[in-house]
Amino acid sequence: MDVLHNLAFGFEHALTWQNLMFCAIGCTVGTLVGLLPGLGPLATISILLPLTYSIPTGGALIMLAGIYYGAQYGDSVSAITMKIPHASSIVACIDGYQMTLKGKTGLALFTAGVSSFIGGTVAIVVLSFFAPMLGEVAFLFGPADYCALMLVGFVCVSFVTTGSLVNGMAMCLIGVLLGQVGTDVNSGMQRFTMNLTFLSDGIGLVSIALGCFGIAEITKNLDAKDERTPFNGAIKLMPTWPEFKRIIPSALRGSVIGSFLGILPGGGPVIAQFAAYAIDKKVSKYKDEIGKGAIEGVAGQAAADEAAARTSFIPLMSIGIPENAVMALMMAAFIIKGIQPGPNMIAGHPDLFWGLVASMWVGNVFLITLNVPLVRYWLSVFKIPYSVLFPSILFFCCIGTYSVNNNLDDVFITAVFGLIGYIFLRLDLDPAPLMLGFILGPMLEENFRRALLLSRGSFTSFLTRPISGTLLAFIGLFIVWQIVAFMLETRKAKVAAAQPLPGAELGSQPE
Amino acid sequence: MVESAPQLTASESSILSSSNLPPIHSEFTMNDRNLLRGLFLLAISLAFGLTSLRYPIGQFSRAGPGLFPLMVSCLLLLIAVITILRSRFVEHLPLGFNIKNISIILASLCGFALISEFVNMIAGIVFMVFCASFAGTASYSVVRNLKIAAGLVAVALAFQKLLGFNLPLY
Repeated sequence: MDVLHNLAFGFEHALTWQNLMFCAIGCTVGTLVGLLPGLGPLATISILLPLTYSIPTGGALIMLAGIYYGAQYGDSVSAITMKIPHASSIVACIDGYQMTLKGKTGLALFTAGVSSFIGGTVAIVVLSFFAPMLGEVAFLFGPADYCALMLVGFVCVSFVTTGSLVNGMAMCLIGVLLGQVGTDVNSGMQRFTMNLTFLSDGIGLVSIALGCFGIAEITKNLDAKDERTPFNGAIKLMPTWPEFKRIIPSALRGSVIGSFLGILPGGGPVIAQFAAYAIDKKVSKYKDEIGKGAIEGVAGQAAADEAAARTSFIPLMSIGIPENAVMALMMAAFIIKGIQPGPNMIAGHPDLFWGLVASMWVGNVFLITLNVPLVRYWLSVFKIPYSVLFPSILFFCCIGTYSVNNNLDDVFITAVFGLIGYIFLRLDLDPAPLMLGFILGPMLEENFRRALLLSRGSFTSFLTRPISGTLLAFIGLFIVWQIVAFMLETRKAKVAAAQPLPGAELGSQPE
Repeated sequence: MVESAPQLTASESSILSSSNLPPIHSEFTMNDRNLLRGLFLLAISLAFGLTSLRYPIGQFSRAGPGLFPLMVSCLLLLIAVITILRSRFVEHLPLGFNIKNISIILASLCGFALISEFVNMIAGIVFMVFCASFAGTASYSVVRNLKIAAGLVAVALAFQKLLGFNLPLY
């Protein structure tokens, strides 16, 4: 009953007028960026980071969190109506778009909205039980264990976001190296600054994020020259009772899967959706219809998506290690506000933690009103042509970069990272792992050096400590599996004759 | 790194942008995304790795500032070598590098920063909108650009007056 008491305490904080307003702003902005191309949650959160300097801590975190999970809702709307996923709703395109083709857009949108609501609610229950429990476990972690955990995070994120361990790992390492630029905390030595004074504090997080996600993304969209045809069909929102009954079991299954997968390192919305969809295809009563526009195909993945987006806060808030790129940015937001996320946070700042948890449910209510009854009005956003949109996004990137330090030099750094980000995109390197590497890099170094100091320079402590030993063994197994898979794949390709598949490494995606 | 990476790719891209040919299936073509990725990673790892040798390395028990970056660079070097080796076994994919759009966008960003510094930010915003529009897909329209610029200046004013941003607008 402790949890109930704590949640009541959280709602006390979340339901103040001020925090309600921040939550509403976050959800609205989140839905908007989910709908629009070229500005994912990562870029938006980094644009708004400077804004949070001037607003209270609780409100700032509530707003940024709202952007993240709000974007998942908006994303599924654009996936269902136009088959355009921006951030994560790849799975929603399958059955959701099929339903649109059948003229059941309203039903698909309603299903996605309600399932997301169910997913979010289940995830909040999981969050309020598990985060404090995991926080207790985190006290057992030593420096070596933290190192191993971060490496597991790198491996998982690399594999999940890019489909290729090698490419993703490369980006993580580049991120770690970029995080080394600046003054070394232990010796006070300037590293990789090329004698430029503005680099002695390190490269700005916002510059990297906006360069790699904002500028590079805009240019990619401009290169693609895709003309979007806005959705103009009729929307009939209210389902019949038998249709409604079909939503519930899938949504509940999706919520549980999503909540669980969200906690794991590297987890998060994308993998949760695929898992929920696959399981629904196996166990659902209507499994034959899935793939051809079934309610279950939308409900399960939408619930999993939303649930995973929220439970991915658990590792950040209880252990202090973000498990994906967006959480890494959230961690930066916590630190800007002078709060170190980790096992001490729940005890030290209960108002922030429980306020944030409660605000997620309040945000859920906002989002379902924004996305179900008002969805028609949102769809008019698509009528804005990209030629109007991209100068505006560029403007927000400029203002966002400038206002971090009120310094125009930062805009040049953003431009440099825009170019680098564009090169990354063209070389099939996904910048999301880079973000995680960049934020975890200094922490990884700190813990690595501390672990070696404690063991007097011996690496055996990484293997003999039970937690880090297990985690490293997991990484080892994973790498072996990847090598074997690659070798089998090349052999198969050779056998299958002259024309091998493009990008023969395991699970590589065309983009 | 910030210096070395664009240098490398500028030379690479000049080779690449000139060749808009369909994918070539010969054994040694430079226009191979997988190979170029490996070379790019190699350049980054060498840039960081060689620089970190200049810092005190220390011992494992008492690590100097150069040790950790050196280790990370070595790992990256390993990945770069793997990528280069692997590019020999998979099909060559051409690199779709469109230098026009990225140049326009970067020019409008730098122009914005320079003009904001020496004139004021309103002029910077107007320049950015007009310059960036060259990259657009739709036909170039002065009226539309004026409308966008006016809207963005209004937003910037709102940021300055209502949210207390410190923007040198005029």
